[in-house]
Amino acid sequence: MAGVGSGYDLTTTTFSPEGRVYQVEYATKAVEQSGTVIGIRCVDGVVLAVENLRGVKLLRPDSLRRIFAVDRHIGIAVAGIGPDGRHMVGRARSEAQNYRSVYAEEIPPSLLAERLASYAHVYSLYWHVRPFGCTILIGGWDASQGPCLYVVEPDGSGYKYRAYANGKGRTAVRTALNKLNFEQLTCTSAVQEIARMIHQSRDIAKDKPYELEMAWISEASDHKFARVPGALVVSSRQAVEEEPQQMETGGSTASADRGETPSTSTHIMEES
Amino acid sequence: MFRSQYDTDVTTFSPQGRLLQVEYAMEAVKQGSAVVGVCSATHVVLAALKRSFSDLAWHQRKIVPIDEHIGVAISGIAADARVLTKRMRDECLQHRFVYGDAMPVGRLVHLVADLCQKCTQRISRRPYGVGLLVAGVDESGPHLYQTCPSGEVYDLVGMALGARSQSARTYLERHMDEFSSASREALIRHALWALNETLASAKDQHLSAENCAVGVVSIGDDMRFHLYEHEQVQPLLDACAFPKSGGTATETSTEQAPQNVTDSDEHHDATMQQDTP
Amino acid sequence: MIETPTHTTEPIVTGSSVLGVQCVDGVVLACDTLASYGSLARFQRITRLHQPAPGVVIAGGGEYSDLQQLFRITDNIFRQEFCQEDGYELSPRALHSYLARVLYGRRSRMDPLYNSLAVAGKGRFLGCIDLYGTAFESEAVATGIGALLALPLIRKQWHAALAMDEGVRLLEECLRVLYYRDCRALRSVQVAKVSDSGEVLISEPYELSNLQWKVAQAAEEV
Repeated sequence: MAGVGSGYDLTTTTFSPEGRVYQVEYATKAVEQSGTVIGIRCVDGVVLAVENLRGVKLLRPDSLRRIFAVDRHIGIAVAGIGPDGRHMVGRARSEAQNYRSVYAEEIPPSLLAERLASYAHVYSLYWHVRPFGCTILIGGWDASQGPCLYVVEPDGSGYKYRAYANGKGRTAVRTALNKLNFEQLTCTSAVQEIARMIHQSRDIAKDKPYELEMAWISEASDHKFARVPGALVVSSRQAVEEEPQQMETGGSTASADRGETPSTSTHIMEES
Repeated sequence: MFRSQYDTDVTTFSPQGRLLQVEYAMEAVKQGSAVVGVCSATHVVLAALKRSFSDLAWHQRKIVPIDEHIGVAISGIAADARVLTKRMRDECLQHRFVYGDAMPVGRLVHLVADLCQKCTQRISRRPYGVGLLVAGVDESGPHLYQTCPSGEVYDLVGMALGARSQSARTYLERHMDEFSSASREALIRHALWALNETLASAKDQHLSAENCAVGVVSIGDDMRFHLYEHEQVQPLLDACAFPKSGGTATETSTEQAPQNVTDSDEHHDATMQQDTP
Repeated sequence: MIETPTHTTEPIVTGSSVLGVQCVDGVVLACDTLASYGSLARFQRITRLHQPAPGVVIAGGGEYSDLQQLFRITDNIFRQEFCQEDGYELSPRALHSYLARVLYGRRSRMDPLYNSLAVAGKGRFLGCIDLYGTAFESEAVATGIGALLALPLIRKQWHAALAMDEGVRLLEECLRVLYYRDCRALRSVQVAKVSDSGEVLISEPYELSNLQWKVAQAAEEV
């Protein structure tokens, strides 16, 4: 059962001889096992999406959500351990409220991301706590810069992205994301693209059934956090499920990649 | 006894990204006696099997009322459950004091779940070793929630926790399409049938007025949680028509999977029994 | 000896009365747009009406900075409601109760928010809270000196079939009387209408018309 960093991987306060903090890396493993989570910044807004796996048959439809509203102009999608994600969302809400009570305006998503990254970082420093087992995607509308997407990882890093994916289907989805033209992509077409990416990243034989959970902060929603209209989600999903599987692109190769270590180079990072 | 070097602290991730201490806390839930919850479009029903640890001991409480409109069935460490249920009562009272109306069930459950999550992230705490089935009604209708030691919350149409609960879950999954339109009587019957599935096949164990409790809450004029115990349960049991032998229900007996195959929790039963209702 | 704070019991910038009346198709609130600095009519175009969410309006008198704080508090709880997304809706009655607890809590700590509030909401809700946390619902409410001067007038003319437009005229008449007699009142007023279904209309500030100062002359002659 010993891990790769045997002996140096039991607490966050231990470096391995090659300079790695294994406990933080293990926390990211929890993220990689969750249902696929995608965020895309489009020209007219930002879309957050979750492949919400339904392992328990007795669950009610539309429950166990992984996308949360933080303020009227910001939403968070959670990849990884759900309860840890809720903890981060709670923190995000109080940061947003605190900022507003001091400055009487909405918190810029960039600042919220920075504060949450600092918060996550603290949990990677001390022996008496553990890192968060979740990566959070912060989608928001910035008063001056428009739509934006930030991602905070368990190690306490926070970066701005054009598009981001994590979870089981990340490898295939990241490849697909790289092919999008972000200069022209609208939220509505991003919703359809996401439905396709998630569908093609799945192994129909092995994977649990899923619900497609999506929210956006877009011009269509008046720059406010809102669930993507159910009809659009359903039609996008039906469209890809009826389409014949494409063998050469996503389809079969994606299924093989699922769950394996990603190459981080496929991230579409805008700036750090 | 020990399974890996990553399983002694709640603050330690395994190389696979799992929190073994939290998973072990989930095992504690399986050691309590079984509880079942089912939810229709109008009613929520809880049913519980109560254990008695000696002939001189009272059967333990498995279903506790929280507020007028909410009741909870517990499985796991009783003392942990008491802490959580007390907190839930306080929160409900607080909500009534502040807003002048009843606490929405979902919000109450998420408060408790957030409390559970905090215990999974610091070394100074251990996770609560208890699972709750929360039944309640509010403006948005009847609700059945399950909370876990991990802080996860499930919004369900039916669920069973505790010892040998897998067979009850199998029953619930098989009949889940009938729940939504079920009447009060039918729903209670489903709950008791499911609970009956969890009984050990030994002949002497069967549901009785002593070892069984039922809680019911419904939408409509009377949004109150009703708890049936002792002699009040008997009529409900009488209406069920269980097979004489106990254990497996007649109508499902042919499809019933062998119980021990699905049941990984049985070998735990000897430990911690004093603490688990 | 324990020193009791006294500075919190002296309001500095204050608003005067707030009036409210239940009508057959909704609720009407009215107040003037003045915040006085002592007896000086210091801020003449401020609003004392606030809509924190669809279907709810609160209006208040007393210390204006405290009133702004209360408006912020209500905005915050509705923002939290927005984030919950669980289908539960904070009713005007629940908000009324919440604000009553806030005011009562503050006064119990001997640090009151120096306000009296009227809360109007959909479903024909009208309630009133004072700085002690006293809270009640009524078909007609008036705070401050309005409770003495306006409430009897409202009650006299109130009837169950009162329409909202009639309600507005009734409250305007009361505001006129208050302008004559309350030295902290102003001619510029605002009216909010909340229909049963939750439609809210808050008027821009406007001047009361048909003021009759001849009575003042008569008073001088006596």
